[in-house]
Amino acid sequence: MANPLLTSDLLRRLEQFQLLAQRRAKSSTRGERRSRARGQSVEFADYRNYTVGDDFRYLDWNLYGRLEKLFLKLYEEERELPVTIFLDASESMTFGEPRKFDFARQIAAAVGYVGLCGFDRVSVISFPDLPEEAALRNSLRLVRGRKSALTFLQSLSQITAKGASALNESLRRGALTARTAGVAVVLSDFLDPDGYEGGLTALVSRGFQVNAIQILAAEEVNPTSFGDLRLIDSETGALQEVTFGRHRIANYRQTVNNYCQRLREFCRSRGVHYLNALSNSPLEQILLRQLREAEVWG
Amino acid sequence: MHFLAPWAFFFAAVLPVVVLFYLLKRRRVVRLISSTVLWQKFIADTQASAPFQKLRHNWLLILQLLLLLLAILALSRPYFFGRTSGGKLQVVILDASASMQSTDVAPSRFEYARGEALKLVDAMHDDDQMVLLQAGSNTEVKQSATSGKSALRRAIQGSAAVDTPTRLQEALKLAETLIQNNPTAEIHLFSDGAIPSLDEFENSGLPLVYHQVGVRSENLGITSLDVRPNPENPAQRAIFASVSNYSTNAHEAQLELRQDGELIEVKVLKMRPRESSPQVFIASQDTDAVLSVHLTGQDDLSVDNQASVVSVLPRPIKVLLLSQGNQLLSKALRVAPNVTLSEASIVPETDEKFDLVVLDNMTPLNMPSGNLLAIHVVQPNWFESVGTLESPPIVDWKSSHPLLRFVNFDNVQIAECLLVKTPTWAASIVDSPQTGLILAGELGRQRIVWIGFDPLQSTWPLRISFPIFIANAIDWLNPASINASQLSIQAGTPFRLALTEQVTEASIRMPGGAVRKLEVNSDKGEIVFGDTAKNGTYHLFGGTNEVIFCVNLLDERESDTTPKPEIKFGEYAKADSTTLRRANLEFWRWFAAACLAVLMLEWWYYHRRTV
Repeated sequence: MANPLLTSDLLRRLEQFQLLAQRRAKSSTRGERRSRARGQSVEFADYRNYTVGDDFRYLDWNLYGRLEKLFLKLYEEERELPVTIFLDASESMTFGEPRKFDFARQIAAAVGYVGLCGFDRVSVISFPDLPEEAALRNSLRLVRGRKSALTFLQSLSQITAKGASALNESLRRGALTARTAGVAVVLSDFLDPDGYEGGLTALVSRGFQVNAIQILAAEEVNPTSFGDLRLIDSETGALQEVTFGRHRIANYRQTVNNYCQRLREFCRSRGVHYLNALSNSPLEQILLRQLREAEVWG
Repeated sequence: MHFLAPWAFFFAAVLPVVVLFYLLKRRRVVRLISSTVLWQKFIADTQASAPFQKLRHNWLLILQLLLLLLAILALSRPYFFGRTSGGKLQVVILDASASMQSTDVAPSRFEYARGEALKLVDAMHDDDQMVLLQAGSNTEVKQSATSGKSALRRAIQGSAAVDTPTRLQEALKLAETLIQNNPTAEIHLFSDGAIPSLDEFENSGLPLVYHQVGVRSENLGITSLDVRPNPENPAQRAIFASVSNYSTNAHEAQLELRQDGELIEVKVLKMRPRESSPQVFIASQDTDAVLSVHLTGQDDLSVDNQASVVSVLPRPIKVLLLSQGNQLLSKALRVAPNVTLSEASIVPETDEKFDLVVLDNMTPLNMPSGNLLAIHVVQPNWFESVGTLESPPIVDWKSSHPLLRFVNFDNVQIAECLLVKTPTWAASIVDSPQTGLILAGELGRQRIVWIGFDPLQSTWPLRISFPIFIANAIDWLNPASINASQLSIQAGTPFRLALTEQVTEASIRMPGGAVRKLEVNSDKGEIVFGDTAKNGTYHLFGGTNEVIFCVNLLDERESDTTPKPEIKFGEYAKADSTTLRRANLEFWRWFAAACLAVLMLEWWYYHRRTV
């Protein structure tokens, strides 16, 4: 299965993974995840008294033989796990070599593929909204089944990054519109002037198991422009004047570390899995090792 | 701390300009980046839209303000007083004598002294006063007491060295007068120390600061020059020149003799250090001529490398002897060269003019107007009182006087002599304890040699010294030789010429070729020309006559250019050369150096900050 985002080899290796969900699936659609709901499956769950109209097939005749009472055997219903991938497709994601957006799409593709392989319902919510790509982006919602994977990957590879992100707003809206909470993977640089706290909190509050993956470009960690600079924000157009020299790189890095550390602390305090990566990091290492270590999948 | 240029503090007005630059926003390179969130966290620059920003702690600003302050301090030329007792009045004496033309200090000692004097002017306080004297053969006040630095600088720049010896007494006397009753005043002498004795200032305690100029002595010089008939062949002329090597190294030089500019003879001299070598040239001469000697070779002082003398051919001297009969005297007069002797017992009533008259024991009623050799003559106009003294012993005689050249008074006894008080017009050249025995001097323009005893009443005519003295006296009294000697003068000495005809105006052609007009007061009967500061041959045109006279340095003290570390006032007092200038100790250079260091630091800091 050739696609521009992931190699077939990598896809094959991803097939062994399954997204980890700490909570039971709450979806109403049947799937392959254990849920609290009772239904038809092979996993015994409980007994209950027989009431009129129950299916005789589920009566436990052995118990009737011993106790002469009718008990109905209940089985766990297996439901699907909704996997929602929040993909930051703002202008700021187009920076870096390779672009942060490309890297984020690759991770999104991997997560989506793993979800599809596990018969989970995968949705990719890319923000900000781009009216001209509305159809394309809608095709990435509620994708289910392995056979949809090719379409899914192709659609994902076609979306573009543009405009100013509103991370908080997008996450909040995603949390509200989700019918059922599931696993949420947020792929962003988290460099939003309005912050990230509100959005992540909304997801957690909605019951999502959130995985935050911060993607930064190498030049954002190690700037290569020096001197008297007037910096223009690609999304907001805000100006920032700075006089920068090599001797201040260490201070700058410290600032970046502090920022990431603050995000990490925030995530930890809310039970959010956090991972950060540079856009030029080896993809396989992220997918096969770090995401596993971060218990995104296993 | 004081400031020589306090006006430089006006430059402090540029300090706010530097601050203004920091208030103004700088031109920046525009970069599009993904997000400014991280940068906002990192930097503290504000994004105010106003052209000015809040002044914040900035090392560059502080460095630049410091830089400017240091530069302003350097420009204001701060100084400390080097010495606490500074004179409010400074009398600067610039030695402008010939030796100051030495080139051992580039470009010359005099130029160096001028530069030092200018520094002294720069270091003057606003209320200080300075007088500038230039000491050559005479003292010239180049600038009277003033606080005006520009006037003083002009005066210093307008002074120039001359070819004359120094006569510092005059300058010091003037300076002493100027600083009278001014205890804080100082005299600053810029000189190489080639100056005559200053014994008279031994006890005056002059506040003299001696600034020694010159570093070495590398000079050969002609220190004397004379021309005489060749003793072995009176038809020839003998030129006596003395050359001295004042340097500490041996030198080889050539001494050229020129007659009216034409090379006659060259002698090669090998001079050892500090050696003096007399040289004699013999030359035939048909007419009066200017003989000059020239020393070739490189040395520090060129002004003493040539000297000229006017050689006048000897003419017969007409001598009248008024005597009652004195064979010894008559014989002595006859053996003298070129003498035409007439003898008489009374003053002859003829119009014939005699070059000199010898009065032997006679006092004529009408004294002859020519030069006189008066022997045992009592002339009331000459002396206040006249007495007699028996057996006066001869205790002293001035052997340096031309009259006593080669004359010795040992074993001369005198039976009786006249007892007189030495008049002002004459000097005693042979002394007994009570009276002068032989007087020589000039009364009006009449030269007189007076012998106060009758030689026949003494043993003197029996001695060899008697005819020598008579020959010397004839030479000294001979108007022609007097004139000839007057034709060679030392630089700075006025030239005097007795007029034989009525002249109202004259002109002089100077050595450089310039012609100067002279107005002559015919009543005085002589021409006096004082501007003889330049060495060389001068041509005087007066009426129908042309007179040539030569001006030479011929001064051993000036030719000896060895810098003297001290100036002696007599035996005990002296002034050491000082390196303690009265000049204020400026330290603007330190500020300028610090300014440079801060500039480099600022440069480094700026690049460290932006690259």
